[in-house]
Amino acid sequence: MKPHRIALLFNANKVYDRQVIAGIGHYLNSTRVEWDLFMEEDFRTRMRDIQQFRGDGIIADFDDPEAPEALRDLHIPVVAVGGSYHDPSAYPVGIPYIATDNARLVRLAYDHLIEQGLGRFAFYGIPPHPGSRWAQEREHAFRAIVAEEAVDAVVYDGASTSAGGWGEAVEALVAWLDALPKPIGIVAATDARARQLLQACVIGDFAVPEQIAIVGIDNDPMAQLLTRIPLTSVIQGAEEMGRTAAHLLHQMLRGVDCSTTRVLVPPVGMNVQVSSRYQPMRSPHVMRASHYIRQYGCLGIKTEQVADYVGVSRTVLEEHFKRELKQTVHQVILKHKLDTACDLIANTDTPLADVALRCGFTSLQYMYAVFRREYDCTPRQYLDLHRKAAAT
Amino acid sequence: MPVSTATAWGQLPDGTPLHRWTLRNARGGQVEISDLGATLLSWQSPDRHGRLGEVVLGHPTAQHYLDSNAYMGAVVGRWANRIRGGRFRLDGIDYKVDRNDGGNHLHGGHDGFHRHRWDADTNGDDLVLRLVSPEGDGGFPGEVRVDLRVRLEDDGTLDLRYEATSDAPTPLSLTAHPYFNLNDRRPDIRDHVIRIDADEFLAIDAGAIPVGRQHVAGTAFDFREPAPIGSRLHWPDPQLRLVGGFDHCYVPRGPAGTLRTVAVVTEPSSGRRLTIDTDRPGLQFYSGQKLTGQTSRHGDTYGPFAGFALEAQAFPDQVNGPDADGAILRPGVVWRQHTRYRVDTP
Repeated sequence: MKPHRIALLFNANKVYDRQVIAGIGHYLNSTRVEWDLFMEEDFRTRMRDIQQFRGDGIIADFDDPEAPEALRDLHIPVVAVGGSYHDPSAYPVGIPYIATDNARLVRLAYDHLIEQGLGRFAFYGIPPHPGSRWAQEREHAFRAIVAEEAVDAVVYDGASTSAGGWGEAVEALVAWLDALPKPIGIVAATDARARQLLQACVIGDFAVPEQIAIVGIDNDPMAQLLTRIPLTSVIQGAEEMGRTAAHLLHQMLRGVDCSTTRVLVPPVGMNVQVSSRYQPMRSPHVMRASHYIRQYGCLGIKTEQVADYVGVSRTVLEEHFKRELKQTVHQVILKHKLDTACDLIANTDTPLADVALRCGFTSLQYMYAVFRREYDCTPRQYLDLHRKAAAT
Repeated sequence: MPVSTATAWGQLPDGTPLHRWTLRNARGGQVEISDLGATLLSWQSPDRHGRLGEVVLGHPTAQHYLDSNAYMGAVVGRWANRIRGGRFRLDGIDYKVDRNDGGNHLHGGHDGFHRHRWDADTNGDDLVLRLVSPEGDGGFPGEVRVDLRVRLEDDGTLDLRYEATSDAPTPLSLTAHPYFNLNDRRPDIRDHVIRIDADEFLAIDAGAIPVGRQHVAGTAFDFREPAPIGSRLHWPDPQLRLVGGFDHCYVPRGPAGTLRTVAVVTEPSSGRRLTIDTDRPGLQFYSGQKLTGQTSRHGDTYGPFAGFALEAQAFPDQVNGPDADGAILRPGVVWRQHTRYRVDTP
């Protein structure tokens, strides 16, 4: 039997789409189903060309507003993948739909901020646009939660991201953050939006997470790379969505009617990082100093520079640290460097010499000495014990 | 840490007093176990912030456990799971045992091990529970003696070691039957993400009796990669529709008789993780769809999917299958089982 020709209509340059496609791949490998997969060279498939497709089935990203129209008159099985809707009539009729459960994504982020002890919340969304209905759904989910729990909350969509208007957009974002009561926890519609928040916090000099705690959605490695303060993020079940979509198309190609099947996939995890680890501190000096150390702790800073940033003398700062954290400023800087090093060793394949450099140790030998003193093992032993298989 | 002394905890209908014990570990975890059915009453374990929370379902009082039909937290026997028609043939003799699940036998019958009072003793960190199941218990032949040693380890492992002997040949399959919910803030386990290290499961008929092995590939039962329980319930799979969810036995990888990891469940909100290691051949996965109406620890009622069970055991109805002999305990042999449940945060 000739393998079925299947088109995947996704933008595989985005991490979420890539994970959906990976899930489809897992399903095919596990079942030894042979599909001849059609994708264009740049991993994108143009909706307008799909009418010419002479194949057996399609799995398509229905967050693309052109998809329903473009696929309407094709008389082959289609499985839709996209965001969930609170209004059931928003789903396309007559085809199976695999959704990331927007309400559960937002609920997980919100519950996490509650667990941090926060009592005030905000949502940073995206201005309404046909291509980002999922962001409106997340905003709707947030509004529904805070209405149900009778919690005061603010929603801000900001401006669309454009090179020209960027300067004003950042200014407006900083002004919005400035006006918010603090401490506050903010759910961002995506990691891309969360990254902009983190940047605005640096510009506006707001301490993350002490004044503003942030949770994003996507667990996008790119957003992590571009932020100084590691971002807490909700992990979508995108691979499972891909497996589910492939399973349904597989069934449809065998003649099973799946036209009313709708599967909502909840989030599969949360990458908890510093951006949300809100711990109430009494001393504003310690708060500001901690914020500075989290941003620049790996750049070889000393107590002097921290005190300068906070605007008090070394002695005063040390007193506050001793009272509140039972540690010296130097110890806190060192702990930050060690934490960062351990994270790099366990979760990346960075060579040890580079780890030492990136964490602000003056030499690899010095990092070895600190590890021996603090952990009673060498970085190499730590690596052997903790390094995970390369992240997929 | 040493097991606590006994605390009074209700009584049997004949007035026999019942007790419970507390096991603690160095990380603040604690487990409560009763001598009624060797039942796991409570398990408090830290979440990702170190805050303790309940991870198993439970009833409020001993009387509720006696009245319940959910096998809540108990050790079930003499035969965990089902026997078709409550009948089997052993050494040329036909036996009829209690039929308490439609026309089938389930979990030891009307008064299985879960309703017996076990003798309990502490031995340092171990709680040792002993039961003598008399000849004819639930219709089964032979007097069976069971020894169960329970220990809560510092890494969050609840270690269960069973030993049993019998004075006549008898089918034997024991399992702990806790219902887990790793997030005590949400009474629904459908957002839990489960991995089961099994390439095959046992397909069932409408009476939940296995009819044959089936490969998991391409089905809703393939949890070799972790997946949320809830979304799989919506896959169009006739096996799921038969019992309204998962209530199926998996065949974990690796040889039975050797301890190996068979399942891992994570809960995104609390950050907790449950890992199950066992030397049993089978692992029943029940998604808790029929828990509706059971009285919760706080006195309200549980809904469907309030908890899930992962039961390490022999294969359901194995006594009527090709490997019937593998499920028989004979005199002079010591039957052993080792199962470990670990709750921690990765």
